[in-house]
Amino acid sequence: MTYEEFADTRLAPLLRYAVMLTGDPHQAQDLVQETMVRVQLNWRRVARADSPERYVRRMLTNQYIDWRRGSWVRRVLLRGEPDASMPALTDHAQSAVDRDQIWSWLSRLPRRQRAALVLRYYEDLPDIEIADILGCAVGTVRSSISRALATLRTEYVEA
Amino acid sequence: MIEDDLRAAFVRHEPLTPSTGPLRAAIDRLAATRRRRRQRFQAAGVTLALLAALGVGVPQLRPDRPADGPAMSGRPADVPPEALNILLLGVDGFGEQPPYRLADSVLLVHIPADRSRPYLISLPRDLEVSIPGRGIDKLNSAFFTGAGEPRPDLDAGYDLTRRVVADLTGVRVDAGAVLTFAGLRRITEAVDGVEVCLPKKVESWHTRRTFPAGCQRLDGDASVDLLRQRRYLPDGASDRDRNAQRYVGGLIRRVVGQDVLTNPVRLAALLSAPGKGLAVDDDGLPLTKLVAVLPELKSVDPVGLSLPVGPPTDDATRLRLDPKQGRAFLAALSEDRLAQWVAQHPERVNPVR
Repeated sequence: MTYEEFADTRLAPLLRYAVMLTGDPHQAQDLVQETMVRVQLNWRRVARADSPERYVRRMLTNQYIDWRRGSWVRRVLLRGEPDASMPALTDHAQSAVDRDQIWSWLSRLPRRQRAALVLRYYEDLPDIEIADILGCAVGTVRSSISRALATLRTEYVEA
Repeated sequence: MIEDDLRAAFVRHEPLTPSTGPLRAAIDRLAATRRRRRQRFQAAGVTLALLAALGVGVPQLRPDRPADGPAMSGRPADVPPEALNILLLGVDGFGEQPPYRLADSVLLVHIPADRSRPYLISLPRDLEVSIPGRGIDKLNSAFFTGAGEPRPDLDAGYDLTRRVVADLTGVRVDAGAVLTFAGLRRITEAVDGVEVCLPKKVESWHTRRTFPAGCQRLDGDASVDLLRQRRYLPDGASDRDRNAQRYVGGLIRRVVGQDVLTNPVRLAALLSAPGKGLAVDDDGLPLTKLVAVLPELKSVDPVGLSLPVGPPTDDATRLRLDPKQGRAFLAALSEDRLAQWVAQHPERVNPVR
Protein backbone atom coordinates (compact mmCIF):
# COMPACT_ATOMS: atom_id res chain seq x y z
CA MET A 1 0.00 0.00 0.00
CA THR A 2 1.27 3.48 -0.78
CA TYR A 3 0.85 6.52 1.42
CA GLU A 4 -1.57 7.95 -1.15
CA GLU A 5 -3.79 4.88 -1.04
CA PHE A 6 -3.75 4.93 2.73
CA ALA A 7 -4.71 8.60 2.87
CA ASP A 8 -7.47 8.10 0.29
CA THR A 9 -9.31 5.64 2.47
CA ARG A 10 -8.18 6.37 6.01
CA LEU A 11 -7.89 10.12 6.35
CA ALA A 12 -11.61 10.77 6.82
CA PRO A 13 -12.14 8.08 9.50
CA LEU A 14 -9.02 9.28 11.33
CA LEU A 15 -10.30 12.83 11.29
CA ARG A 16 -13.65 11.71 12.67
CA TYR A 17 -11.83 9.77 15.37
CA ALA A 18 -9.79 12.87 16.23
CA VAL A 19 -12.95 14.95 16.49
CA MET A 20 -14.33 12.47 19.02
CA LEU A 21 -11.08 12.58 20.98
CA THR A 22 -10.67 16.32 21.08
CA GLY A 23 -14.26 17.46 20.78
CA ASP A 24 -13.10 20.27 18.53
CA PRO A 25 -12.71 20.33 14.73
CA HIS A 26 -9.65 22.62 14.77
CA GLN A 27 -7.80 20.58 17.33
CA ALA A 28 -8.75 17.46 15.42
CA GLN A 29 -7.30 18.91 12.21
CA ASP A 30 -4.07 19.83 13.94
CA LEU A 31 -3.80 16.45 15.60
CA VAL A 32 -4.37 14.57 12.35
CA GLN A 33 -2.07 16.88 10.43
CA GLU A 34 0.81 16.38 12.84
CA THR A 35 0.31 12.63 12.88
CA MET A 36 -0.06 12.24 9.12
CA VAL A 37 3.03 14.32 8.39
CA ARG A 38 4.99 11.87 10.48
CA VAL A 39 3.21 8.98 8.77
CA GLN A 40 4.19 10.32 5.37
CA LEU A 41 7.82 10.89 6.35
CA ASN A 42 8.11 7.42 7.86
CA TRP A 43 5.82 5.63 5.46
CA ARG A 44 8.08 2.63 4.92
CA ARG A 45 8.05 1.83 8.61
CA VAL A 46 4.30 2.35 8.85
CA ALA A 47 3.64 0.13 5.84
CA ARG A 48 5.69 -2.67 7.39
CA ALA A 49 3.33 -2.88 10.37
CA ASP A 50 0.87 -5.79 10.52
CA SER A 51 -1.95 -3.30 10.32
CA PRO A 52 -0.88 0.16 9.17
CA GLU A 53 -4.31 1.43 10.08
CA ARG A 54 -3.96 0.40 13.70
CA TYR A 55 -0.35 1.58 13.80
CA VAL A 56 -1.41 5.07 12.73
CA ARG A 57 -4.32 5.10 15.11
CA ARG A 58 -1.88 4.28 17.88
CA MET A 59 0.41 7.13 16.76
CA LEU A 60 -2.49 9.55 16.75
CA THR A 61 -3.79 8.40 20.12
CA ASN A 62 -0.36 8.72 21.72
CA GLN A 63 0.01 12.14 20.21
CA TYR A 64 -3.33 13.12 21.70
CA ILE A 65 -2.51 11.73 25.13
CA ASP A 66 1.07 12.98 25.31
CA TRP A 67 1.02 16.30 23.59
CA ARG A 68 1.97 18.91 26.11
CA ARG A 69 -0.20 21.87 26.69
CA GLY A 70 1.12 24.78 24.75
CA SER A 71 1.73 22.87 21.59
CA TRP A 72 -1.34 22.14 19.56
CA VAL A 73 -3.86 23.17 22.15
CA ARG A 74 -2.62 26.73 22.34
CA ARG A 75 -2.17 27.07 18.61
CA VAL A 76 -5.79 26.23 18.17
CA LEU A 77 -6.96 28.71 20.75
CA LEU A 78 -4.89 31.49 19.21
CA ARG A 79 -6.48 30.95 15.88
CA GLY A 80 -9.32 33.26 16.93
CA GLU A 81 -12.59 33.41 15.05
CA PRO A 82 -14.53 30.21 14.79
CA ASP A 83 -14.62 28.80 11.30
CA ALA A 84 -17.89 29.85 9.66
CA SER A 85 -17.98 26.77 7.49
CA MET A 86 -18.39 24.56 10.53
CA PRO A 87 -21.97 23.58 11.17
CA ALA A 88 -23.07 25.14 14.42
CA LEU A 89 -24.96 22.88 16.71
CA THR A 90 -28.09 24.90 17.33
CA ASP A 91 -30.78 22.77 18.75
CA HIS A 92 -33.05 24.75 20.97
CA ALA A 93 -34.90 21.85 22.40
CA GLN A 94 -34.09 21.48 26.06
CA SER A 95 -33.69 17.74 25.63
CA ALA A 96 -30.94 18.35 23.11
CA VAL A 97 -29.13 20.63 25.53
CA ASP A 98 -29.35 17.92 28.14
CA ARG A 99 -28.08 15.35 25.78
CA ASP A 100 -25.18 17.52 24.77
CA GLN A 101 -24.10 17.87 28.33
CA ILE A 102 -22.60 14.42 28.11
CA TRP A 103 -20.42 15.71 25.28
CA SER A 104 -19.14 18.61 27.34
CA TRP A 105 -18.56 16.39 30.36
CA LEU A 106 -16.32 14.24 28.22
CA SER A 107 -13.83 17.08 28.08
CA ARG A 108 -13.34 16.90 31.84
CA LEU A 109 -12.12 13.30 31.69
CA PRO A 110 -8.43 12.48 31.63
CA ARG A 111 -7.38 12.06 28.00
CA ARG A 112 -6.55 8.40 28.34
CA GLN A 113 -10.02 7.65 29.72
CA ARG A 114 -11.68 9.64 26.97
CA ALA A 115 -9.66 7.78 24.35
CA ALA A 116 -10.79 4.47 25.84
CA LEU A 117 -14.44 5.57 25.70
CA VAL A 118 -14.14 6.72 22.08
CA LEU A 119 -12.47 3.50 21.05
CA ARG A 120 -15.15 1.35 22.65
CA TYR A 121 -18.34 3.35 22.11
CA TYR A 122 -17.57 5.13 18.86
CA GLU A 123 -15.10 2.86 17.08
CA ASP A 124 -16.69 -0.29 18.58
CA LEU A 125 -13.33 -1.96 19.00
CA PRO A 126 -12.89 -5.03 21.23
CA ASP A 127 -11.04 -4.38 24.48
CA ILE A 128 -7.98 -6.27 23.32
CA GLU A 129 -7.51 -3.91 20.39
CA ILE A 130 -8.11 -0.90 22.60
CA ALA A 131 -5.40 -2.21 24.90
CA ASP A 132 -3.07 -2.51 21.92
CA ILE A 133 -3.74 1.04 20.82
CA LEU A 134 -3.37 2.50 24.29
CA GLY A 135 -0.34 0.33 25.00
CA CYS A 136 -1.72 -1.14 28.24
CA ALA A 137 -3.26 -4.33 29.58
CA VAL A 138 -6.86 -5.31 28.84
CA GLY A 139 -7.65 -5.02 32.55
CA THR A 140 -6.40 -1.44 32.54
CA VAL A 141 -8.69 -0.64 29.63
CA ARG A 142 -11.69 -2.04 31.46
CA SER A 143 -10.91 -0.22 34.69
CA SER A 144 -10.34 3.12 33.00
CA ILE A 145 -13.60 2.78 31.07
CA SER A 146 -15.54 1.93 34.20
CA ARG A 147 -13.90 4.81 36.04
CA ALA A 148 -14.81 7.17 33.19
CA LEU A 149 -18.40 5.95 33.16
CA ALA A 150 -18.60 6.37 36.91
CA THR A 151 -17.47 9.99 36.59
CA LEU A 152 -20.06 10.64 33.89
CA ARG A 153 -22.80 9.02 35.98
CA THR A 154 -22.00 11.29 38.91
CA GLU A 155 -22.43 14.30 36.63
CA TYR A 156 -25.73 12.85 35.44
CA VAL A 157 -27.04 12.60 38.97
CA GLU A 158 -25.96 16.10 39.85
CA ALA A 159 -27.42 17.61 36.70
CA MET B 1 -28.19 3.85 29.88
CA ILE B 2 -25.20 6.10 29.87
CA GLU B 3 -23.41 3.91 27.34
CA ASP B 4 -26.20 4.43 24.83
CA ASP B 5 -26.23 8.17 25.47
CA LEU B 6 -22.51 8.17 24.88
CA ARG B 7 -22.83 6.36 21.57
CA ALA B 8 -25.56 8.76 20.51
CA ALA B 9 -23.48 11.78 21.51
CA PHE B 10 -20.55 10.60 19.41
CA VAL B 11 -22.70 9.98 16.35
CA ARG B 12 -24.48 13.30 16.78
CA HIS B 13 -21.17 15.14 16.65
CA GLU B 14 -19.92 13.44 13.51
CA PRO B 15 -20.99 16.46 11.42
CA LEU B 16 -18.33 18.49 13.25
CA THR B 17 -15.75 16.64 11.18
CA PRO B 18 -14.19 19.04 8.67
CA SER B 19 -13.57 18.03 5.06
CA THR B 20 -10.34 16.27 4.33
CA GLY B 21 -9.31 18.09 1.13
CA PRO B 22 -7.55 21.14 2.60
CA LEU B 23 -6.12 19.03 5.41
CA ARG B 24 -4.55 16.60 2.99
CA ALA B 25 -2.94 19.42 1.03
CA ALA B 26 -1.61 20.93 4.26
CA ILE B 27 -0.14 17.57 5.28
CA ASP B 28 1.64 17.22 1.94
CA ARG B 29 3.05 20.75 2.13
CA LEU B 30 4.30 20.34 5.67
CA ALA B 31 5.78 16.93 4.96
CA ALA B 32 7.65 18.31 1.95
CA THR B 33 9.10 21.12 4.04
CA ARG B 34 10.21 18.78 6.76
CA ARG B 35 11.65 16.32 4.27
CA ARG B 36 13.80 19.07 2.76
CA ARG B 37 14.94 20.20 6.18
CA ARG B 38 15.73 16.63 7.18
CA GLN B 39 17.72 16.02 4.02
CA ARG B 40 19.75 19.13 4.66
CA PHE B 41 20.38 18.02 8.19
CA GLN B 42 21.37 14.54 7.13
CA ALA B 43 23.71 15.89 4.50
CA ALA B 44 25.41 17.99 7.11
CA GLY B 45 25.54 15.00 9.42
CA VAL B 46 27.02 12.69 6.83
CA THR B 47 29.62 15.28 5.96
CA LEU B 48 30.55 15.51 9.59
CA ALA B 49 30.75 11.75 9.78
CA LEU B 50 32.91 11.59 6.73
CA LEU B 51 35.29 14.15 8.09
CA ALA B 52 35.31 12.59 11.52
CA ALA B 53 36.09 9.25 10.00
CA LEU B 54 39.25 10.82 8.74
CA GLY B 55 39.71 12.74 11.89
CA VAL B 56 38.45 16.13 10.93
CA GLY B 57 35.06 16.31 12.36
CA VAL B 58 33.50 18.67 14.72
CA PRO B 59 32.40 22.27 14.59
CA GLN B 60 34.19 23.41 17.68
CA LEU B 61 37.56 24.45 16.30
CA ARG B 62 37.94 27.80 14.75
CA PRO B 63 39.63 27.84 11.35
CA ASP B 64 41.32 31.20 11.62
CA ARG B 65 43.87 30.45 14.30
CA PRO B 66 47.33 31.70 13.38
CA ALA B 67 49.73 28.96 12.41
CA ASP B 68 52.13 28.14 15.19
CA GLY B 69 54.12 25.16 13.98
CA PRO B 70 57.17 25.98 11.90
CA ALA B 71 56.22 23.33 9.36
CA MET B 72 52.73 24.78 8.96
CA SER B 73 53.18 28.08 7.31
CA GLY B 74 54.05 28.88 3.76
CA ARG B 75 53.59 25.39 2.43
CA PRO B 76 52.47 25.60 -1.19
CA ALA B 77 48.99 24.25 -1.68
CA ASP B 78 49.55 21.89 -4.56
CA VAL B 79 52.72 19.98 -4.06
CA PRO B 80 52.91 16.29 -4.90
CA PRO B 81 51.02 14.13 -2.43
CA GLU B 82 52.56 13.80 0.96
CA ALA B 83 51.57 11.98 4.09
CA LEU B 84 48.84 13.51 6.22
CA ASN B 85 48.37 13.30 9.95
CA ILE B 86 45.06 14.16 11.52
CA LEU B 87 44.55 14.39 15.25
CA LEU B 88 41.22 13.27 16.69
CA LEU B 89 40.50 13.86 20.36
CA GLY B 90 37.65 12.22 22.20
CA VAL B 91 36.76 14.38 25.16
CA ASP B 92 34.90 13.22 28.22
CA GLY B 93 32.25 15.23 29.95
CA PHE B 94 31.62 18.42 28.00
CA GLY B 95 28.29 19.93 28.83
CA GLU B 96 27.90 17.37 31.56
CA GLN B 97 28.35 17.59 35.29
CA PRO B 98 30.99 17.29 36.48
CA PRO B 99 32.90 18.43 33.41
CA TYR B 100 36.02 16.28 33.33
CA ARG B 101 37.57 17.77 30.21
CA LEU B 102 40.11 15.02 29.82
CA ALA B 103 40.97 13.86 26.33
CA ASP B 104 40.74 10.15 27.01
CA SER B 105 40.90 9.09 23.39
CA VAL B 106 43.81 10.44 21.41
CA LEU B 107 43.80 9.07 17.90
CA LEU B 108 46.20 10.02 15.17
CA VAL B 109 44.94 9.22 11.69
CA HIS B 110 47.84 8.76 9.33
CA ILE B 111 47.29 8.78 5.58
CA PRO B 112 50.47 7.77 3.76
CA ALA B 113 51.70 9.61 0.69
CA ASP B 114 50.86 6.63 -1.52
CA ARG B 115 47.25 6.85 -0.23
CA SER B 116 47.20 3.09 0.27
CA ARG B 117 44.97 3.09 3.35
CA PRO B 118 44.39 4.99 6.58
CA TYR B 119 46.24 4.07 9.77
CA LEU B 120 44.54 4.67 13.11
CA ILE B 121 47.16 5.17 15.79
CA SER B 122 46.01 5.31 19.40
CA LEU B 123 48.20 7.26 21.78
CA PRO B 124 47.55 5.97 25.30
CA ARG B 125 45.99 8.53 27.58
CA ASP B 126 48.20 7.38 30.44
CA LEU B 127 51.39 8.03 28.52
CA GLU B 128 53.87 10.26 30.33
CA VAL B 129 54.60 13.33 28.29
CA SER B 130 56.07 16.75 28.78
CA ILE B 131 53.29 19.34 28.78
CA PRO B 132 54.28 22.99 28.38
CA GLY B 133 53.14 24.92 31.41
CA ARG B 134 52.52 21.79 33.47
CA GLY B 135 55.60 19.59 33.38
CA ILE B 136 55.58 15.82 33.15
CA ASP B 137 52.07 14.43 33.27
CA LYS B 138 49.71 12.09 31.49
CA LEU B 139 48.77 12.78 27.91
CA ASN B 140 45.08 13.14 28.69
CA SER B 141 45.78 16.06 31.01
CA ALA B 142 47.22 18.18 28.19
CA PHE B 143 43.72 18.94 26.99
CA PHE B 144 42.60 19.77 30.51
CA THR B 145 45.60 22.06 31.04
CA GLY B 146 45.01 23.88 27.78
CA ALA B 147 41.25 24.13 28.08
CA GLY B 148 41.42 25.76 31.50
CA GLU B 149 38.76 26.40 34.09
CA PRO B 150 36.08 27.23 34.95
CA ARG B 151 34.85 27.59 31.37
CA PRO B 152 36.94 25.17 29.37
CA ASP B 153 37.91 26.23 25.89
CA LEU B 154 37.95 23.38 23.38
CA ASP B 155 40.22 25.27 21.00
CA ALA B 156 42.85 25.90 23.64
CA GLY B 157 42.66 22.31 24.86
CA TYR B 158 43.12 21.06 21.33
CA ASP B 159 46.02 23.42 20.65
CA LEU B 160 48.02 22.31 23.63
CA THR B 161 47.36 18.63 22.95
CA ARG B 162 48.44 19.10 19.36
CA ARG B 163 51.71 20.64 20.48
CA VAL B 164 52.33 17.78 22.87
CA VAL B 165 51.53 15.18 20.22
CA ALA B 166 53.73 16.90 17.65
CA ASP B 167 56.61 17.00 20.15
CA LEU B 168 56.08 13.39 21.09
CA THR B 169 55.74 11.90 17.64
CA GLY B 170 57.83 14.29 15.61
CA VAL B 171 55.16 14.47 12.91
CA ARG B 172 53.36 17.51 11.63
CA VAL B 173 49.67 17.54 12.54
CA ASP B 174 47.86 18.74 9.43
CA ALA B 175 44.36 18.93 10.77
CA GLY B 176 42.31 17.79 13.68
CA ALA B 177 39.13 17.92 15.66
CA VAL B 178 37.66 17.46 19.06
CA LEU B 179 34.80 15.05 19.46
CA THR B 180 32.49 15.32 22.45
CA PHE B 181 29.97 12.70 23.49
CA ALA B 182 27.22 14.79 21.94
CA GLY B 183 29.17 15.02 18.68
CA LEU B 184 29.78 11.30 18.65
CA ARG B 185 26.10 10.64 19.20
CA ARG B 186 25.11 13.05 16.44
CA ILE B 187 27.51 11.60 13.91
CA THR B 188 26.37 8.07 14.66
CA GLU B 189 22.74 9.03 14.26
CA ALA B 190 23.48 10.89 11.05
CA VAL B 191 24.76 7.74 9.38
CA ASP B 192 21.95 5.73 10.92
CA GLY B 193 24.15 3.65 13.18
CA VAL B 194 27.65 2.25 13.04
CA GLU B 195 28.61 -1.40 12.97
CA VAL B 196 31.25 -2.35 15.53
CA CYS B 197 32.79 -5.81 15.75
CA LEU B 198 33.95 -6.82 19.21
CA PRO B 199 36.21 -9.79 19.93
CA LYS B 200 34.72 -10.19 23.42
CA LYS B 201 31.57 -9.28 25.25
CA VAL B 202 31.61 -5.83 26.88
CA GLU B 203 29.40 -4.97 29.82
CA SER B 204 28.70 -1.34 30.49
CA TRP B 205 29.82 0.12 33.78
CA HIS B 206 27.52 3.08 33.30
CA THR B 207 24.33 1.48 32.00
CA ARG B 208 22.83 -1.99 31.89
CA ARG B 209 23.89 -2.44 28.30
CA THR B 210 25.77 -5.55 27.27
CA PHE B 211 27.63 -5.52 23.98
CA PRO B 212 27.92 -9.13 22.81
CA ALA B 213 31.01 -10.45 21.06
CA GLY B 214 30.74 -10.14 17.30
CA CYS B 215 29.41 -7.48 14.97
CA GLN B 216 26.56 -5.23 15.96
CA ARG B 217 25.08 -1.99 14.78
CA LEU B 218 25.19 0.70 17.45
CA ASP B 219 22.99 3.76 17.63
CA GLY B 220 24.21 7.08 19.00
CA ASP B 221 23.66 6.35 22.67
CA ALA B 222 25.13 2.87 22.44
CA SER B 223 28.24 4.20 20.68
CA VAL B 224 28.85 6.73 23.40
CA ASP B 225 28.25 4.05 26.01
CA LEU B 226 30.72 1.65 24.40
CA LEU B 227 33.45 4.22 23.96
CA ARG B 228 33.17 5.23 27.60
CA GLN B 229 33.86 1.71 28.85
CA ARG B 230 37.19 1.08 30.49
CA ARG B 231 36.72 -0.43 33.93
CA TYR B 232 35.41 -3.87 33.02
CA LEU B 233 37.81 -4.29 30.14
CA PRO B 234 40.75 -6.63 30.81
CA ASP B 235 43.25 -4.20 29.38
CA GLY B 236 41.51 -1.04 30.58
CA ALA B 237 42.21 2.09 28.62
CA SER B 238 44.11 0.21 25.90
CA ASP B 239 41.08 -1.93 25.21
CA ARG B 240 38.99 1.19 25.08
CA ASP B 241 41.40 2.65 22.52
CA ARG B 242 40.95 -0.51 20.44
CA ASN B 243 37.19 -0.13 20.66
CA ALA B 244 37.51 3.46 19.49
CA GLN B 245 39.44 2.20 16.47
CA ARG B 246 36.75 -0.42 15.81
CA TYR B 247 34.16 2.32 15.94
CA VAL B 248 36.06 4.55 13.53
CA GLY B 249 36.60 1.56 11.24
CA GLY B 250 32.86 0.89 11.27
CA LEU B 251 32.10 4.55 10.68
CA ILE B 252 34.36 4.60 7.63
CA ARG B 253 32.70 1.46 6.28
CA ARG B 254 29.32 3.06 6.84
CA VAL B 255 30.23 6.27 5.05
CA VAL B 256 31.70 4.29 2.17
CA GLY B 257 28.61 2.08 2.14
CA GLN B 258 26.50 5.18 1.68
CA ASP B 259 28.49 5.85 -1.44
CA VAL B 260 29.85 9.17 -0.31
CA LEU B 261 33.50 8.63 -1.04
CA THR B 262 33.17 7.28 -4.55
CA ASN B 263 30.65 9.70 -5.93
CA PRO B 264 32.26 13.08 -6.62
CA VAL B 265 28.94 14.80 -7.18
CA ARG B 266 27.53 13.55 -3.92
CA LEU B 267 30.75 14.39 -2.14
CA ALA B 268 30.76 17.95 -3.43
CA ALA B 269 27.11 18.41 -2.55
CA LEU B 270 27.67 17.09 0.93
CA LEU B 271 30.67 19.24 1.54
CA SER B 272 28.83 22.39 0.69
CA ALA B 273 25.96 21.40 2.98
CA PRO B 274 27.15 22.27 6.47
CA GLY B 275 28.29 25.79 5.63
CA LYS B 276 29.00 27.78 8.73
CA GLY B 277 28.21 24.83 10.94
CA LEU B 278 31.56 23.31 10.20
CA ALA B 279 34.87 24.65 11.36
CA VAL B 280 37.91 22.55 11.85
CA ASP B 281 41.56 22.95 12.53
CA ASP B 282 42.72 23.44 8.98
CA ASP B 283 45.41 26.04 9.11
CA GLY B 284 47.92 23.48 7.90
CA LEU B 285 45.71 22.28 5.10
CA PRO B 286 42.51 23.71 3.74
CA LEU B 287 39.51 21.52 4.33
CA THR B 288 38.76 21.15 0.66
CA LYS B 289 42.26 19.85 -0.01
CA LEU B 290 41.93 17.41 2.79
CA VAL B 291 38.68 16.03 1.52
CA ALA B 292 40.07 15.78 -1.97
CA VAL B 293 42.29 13.09 -0.50
CA LEU B 294 39.36 10.82 0.19
CA PRO B 295 38.71 9.55 -3.33
CA GLU B 296 42.44 8.99 -3.70
CA LEU B 297 42.45 6.35 -1.00
CA LYS B 298 42.99 2.91 -2.49
CA SER B 299 41.48 1.16 0.48
CA VAL B 300 39.42 2.52 3.29
CA ASP B 301 40.05 -0.49 5.52
CA PRO B 302 42.02 1.11 8.30
CA VAL B 303 44.94 -0.47 10.12
CA GLY B 304 44.58 -0.14 13.88
CA LEU B 305 47.79 0.44 15.81
CA SER B 306 48.83 1.60 19.25
CA LEU B 307 51.95 3.44 20.20
CA PRO B 308 54.23 0.74 21.69
CA VAL B 309 54.67 1.39 25.38
CA GLY B 310 57.36 0.05 27.64
CA PRO B 311 57.43 -2.01 30.83
CA PRO B 312 55.46 -0.62 33.78
CA THR B 313 56.95 2.27 35.71
CA ASP B 314 56.97 2.81 39.50
CA ASP B 315 53.63 4.50 39.15
CA ALA B 316 51.37 1.75 37.82
CA THR B 317 48.91 4.24 36.35
CA ARG B 318 51.46 5.75 33.99
CA LEU B 319 52.96 4.45 30.80
CA ARG B 320 56.22 5.25 29.03
CA LEU B 321 57.19 4.90 25.44
CA ASP B 322 58.88 1.55 24.74
CA PRO B 323 62.54 2.59 24.39
CA LYS B 324 63.19 0.33 21.39
CA GLN B 325 59.89 -0.53 19.73
CA GLY B 326 58.40 2.88 20.43
CA ARG B 327 61.28 4.75 18.85
CA ALA B 328 61.27 2.46 15.83
CA PHE B 329 57.54 2.94 15.42
CA LEU B 330 57.76 6.73 15.60
CA ALA B 331 60.63 6.74 13.12
CA ALA B 332 58.53 4.65 10.72
CA LEU B 333 55.61 7.03 11.21
CA SER B 334 57.56 10.21 10.55
CA GLU B 335 59.34 8.66 7.56
CA ASP B 336 56.04 7.35 6.19
CA ARG B 337 57.09 3.70 6.32
CA LEU B 338 54.25 2.29 8.39
CA ALA B 339 53.32 -0.36 5.82
CA GLN B 340 56.78 -1.83 6.16
CA TRP B 341 56.68 -1.59 9.95
CA VAL B 342 53.32 -3.35 10.06
CA ALA B 343 54.64 -6.13 7.83
CA GLN B 344 57.45 -6.66 10.34
CA HIS B 345 55.18 -6.46 13.38
CA PRO B 346 51.90 -8.07 12.40
CA GLU B 347 51.18 -8.87 16.06
CA ARG B 348 50.94 -5.16 16.75
CA VAL B 349 47.91 -4.72 14.53
CA ASN B 350 44.59 -4.40 16.27
CA PRO B 351 41.92 -6.06 14.11
CA VAL B 352 39.23 -3.46 13.70
CA ARG B 353 36.76 -5.85 12.24
